[in-house]
Amino acid sequence: MTPTVRDVLQGCVAALSRPVAPEAGPDYAASRVGIVSMLTMMAAAEAERCAGAAIKENADIRAAFADVPADYDASLAGRLSAAAREVDEDLDVPALDAVNARLRDLLIELHQAVEAAGDAATDANILALYVRMAAGRRM
Amino acid sequence: MSATFAERLAAYLARAWGGPVTIEALARISGGASRETYRFDAVTAGARKPLILRRDPPGSLIETDRRLEFMALKSFHGRGVAAPEPLILEREGAELERPFFIMARVDGGATASPFSPDPYAPHAAELGRDFFATLGRIAAADPATLPIADVAETPAPDACWRRELDYWADVIDADEQHPQPIVRAAIRRLRAHPPPPAQKLAVVHGDYRSGNFLHDGAGRIVAVLDWEMAHIGDPLEDLAWALDPLWRHGETERVAGMLPKADAIAVWEDASGLKVDPEAFRWWELFASVKGQAIWISSAKEYRDGGFSEPVLCFSGWVTARRQDEILAAQLAERWPL
Repeated sequence: MTPTVRDVLQGCVAALSRPVAPEAGPDYAASRVGIVSMLTMMAAAEAERCAGAAIKENADIRAAFADVPADYDASLAGRLSAAAREVDEDLDVPALDAVNARLRDLLIELHQAVEAAGDAATDANILALYVRMAAGRRM
Repeated sequence: MSATFAERLAAYLARAWGGPVTIEALARISGGASRETYRFDAVTAGARKPLILRRDPPGSLIETDRRLEFMALKSFHGRGVAAPEPLILEREGAELERPFFIMARVDGGATASPFSPDPYAPHAAELGRDFFATLGRIAAADPATLPIADVAETPAPDACWRRELDYWADVIDADEQHPQPIVRAAIRRLRAHPPPPAQKLAVVHGDYRSGNFLHDGAGRIVAVLDWEMAHIGDPLEDLAWALDPLWRHGETERVAGMLPKADAIAVWEDASGLKVDPEAFRWWELFASVKGQAIWISSAKEYRDGGFSEPVLCFSGWVTARRQDEILAAQLAERWPL
């Protein structure tokens, strides 16, 4: 997911290490420190939970792939079936994010196929999955 | 030693006004991620002018044309909408190196963070009526008669939705860094179920929401701000944006932290003379969340491309984007079955 915790903290360090332009004034500088403080606290919370959130979302997407009716095109069905059998083995956050990106791309492709087929039941399942995915990333 | 920012600004204004100018109380205002915003006093010929400078930043949330913002302000200043008076448009940058414009400063007003709880109490309802009536008056104006028509494209009434959706979908295509299935699904659903043509063409403020105005603390708006995404289009676009759950200050009963949704729409209809078609509005409500997500995706990219230098871009591209995804997913599941 972007920005990553690394991105956020890198930005916090950059913001604190660069002087604020003199024309900006003290109120602006104080506000900037306030935002950086808040981002730092949120990054701490995100660092604790982001691996778990990614693992859970990846599992949820794979479960959705496993539930898809078999009558979609063979290429897509084969890739869905293969992805549904995978498990997250590398639990480093960048590795989990890379797998998540691949699963999300496949989910987009699946949803397009579902819409084209007019498969309302699978569509409803995917929309419910989206609600869970968004809730799982809530900050 | 190079001239300070204030000295360069003074030199520019001295040239523009034909006399010596001194700059006092210069300070940058927080927020305004798409323009650097400064407040200052210009003292010239014994007179003190309270002013605001809006300068293009090296990187911004959204690519906007400062001429549009300037002409939008010009379109509504003194015409029943509390738009600050635009004064100077500098398209090359001159002494300040990047394009900017200067407008009159409205003092004595307060703004609110869109994320603070109940920021308008105890005058929320009164302020809400002013807020939605003001938007209704913007919608009622004929854009063909206003200065903005000189710089803004005028779409056909049945093309408003497509132009906006294409634009923001292109932003997502260009700036997405991690696949976003929820907003992609919303875009497809919007394309599959287009709204009816706009009932009239109107000036669309583009970012009319809680937090983008100054109020007097007693229920009255004293300045409508941030016209940088102004364009001509379907007036329902602005109303839907103002009502997006993102701007509700965490509330469920009141939109924009001010009024129940039905009351807000009634005030807008009364002021605009227009009617809100529920089916058309459902489309524009989902579109508002797509547009929001496009802006947050873009801000995440600019945060990264800009060397992680602007913390507010990080907040938008991270925290706000997550909340927008929840709003999008709820709308799709509850109101957009296949």
